[in-house]
Amino acid sequence: MRTYDDTFSGQKIYPGKGKLFVRSDSKIFRFQNGKTESLFLQRKNPRRIAWTVLCRRQRRKGISEEQAKTRRRKQVKSQRAVVGASLDVIKERRSMRPEARSAARAEAIKLGKEKRTAAQSEKRAEKAKTAVKSGAGQTTGRWVYDDDSCIKRALLMINSVVGKQGAKGSAPKPKPTSR
Amino acid sequence: MCNVIDNSGAAVAECVKVLKMKRHAKVGDRIIVVVQKQRNFGPESGPGGSVSVSAANKVRRGDIRHAVVVRTAKKYQRPDGSVVKFDDNACVLINKGGEPIGSRLSGIVGREIREKGWSKILSLAPMHL
Repeated sequence: MRTYDDTFSGQKIYPGKGKLFVRSDSKIFRFQNGKTESLFLQRKNPRRIAWTVLCRRQRRKGISEEQAKTRRRKQVKSQRAVVGASLDVIKERRSMRPEARSAARAEAIKLGKEKRTAAQSEKRAEKAKTAVKSGAGQTTGRWVYDDDSCIKRALLMINSVVGKQGAKGSAPKPKPTSR
Repeated sequence: MCNVIDNSGAAVAECVKVLKMKRHAKVGDRIIVVVQKQRNFGPESGPGGSVSVSAANKVRRGDIRHAVVVRTAKKYQRPDGSVVKFDDNACVLINKGGEPIGSRLSGIVGREIREKGWSKILSLAPMHL
């Protein structure tokens, strides 16, 4: 939705409201209501009329409230529990001395790394075992065809299926005459 | 009375008839006008140089011509609810076939002339609104 500003008072003009005035020097003026239009045509100065936006801006009216509002919005900051760590744990970690904290961190990292390497080596060993087993099983398969017999069977199937009717193909579908 | 905003040579014209209408003329309406005042072109054609003026002008004082209204001082409402009004009444002279006599326009014209099918005037205008 397109809204315009009143050229005199600075109010918003919503669609369907207001008047458009084009002066002979082809300058465009928009008025929200008859009050502003009248004042404009009386050649009043909007800076001297107390309720217009221009006047209020000039005299710094209503600006301090806006500033206070924005400041409050910035200050909001809170601590919350995250997925794996409750609020107590986070607070405890925060309150530790930095060198103690770094030491604990290093310890934790080391532990995690060891765990991971152990798991990996275990996995590798298992994989090797299974590979050996499957390699032994492959050579003694029961359902193995050589190529010749496959082709023969395929040919036979094709010959048997195609009869007189089959060669013609299916009958064309009758066109629908009514719905 | 309305201003003529093209370069046909007329400055002010008086409406004597609104065509296809029993009421006052609006933007985009065709009217018949009498040219009341001629425009002076250039600084060299002074108040006494009536000969050069008549040579440059395509129309003369007292001519009866057709014209199209392009601005009205009376405010009018658009279908979208907005109200528009201009500072003066203005028209553009046309011939009987509907083509503008002048080759240039100065000043804004109303958007309604597009809906009424005066696209040639619209293309000459510097701005429409």
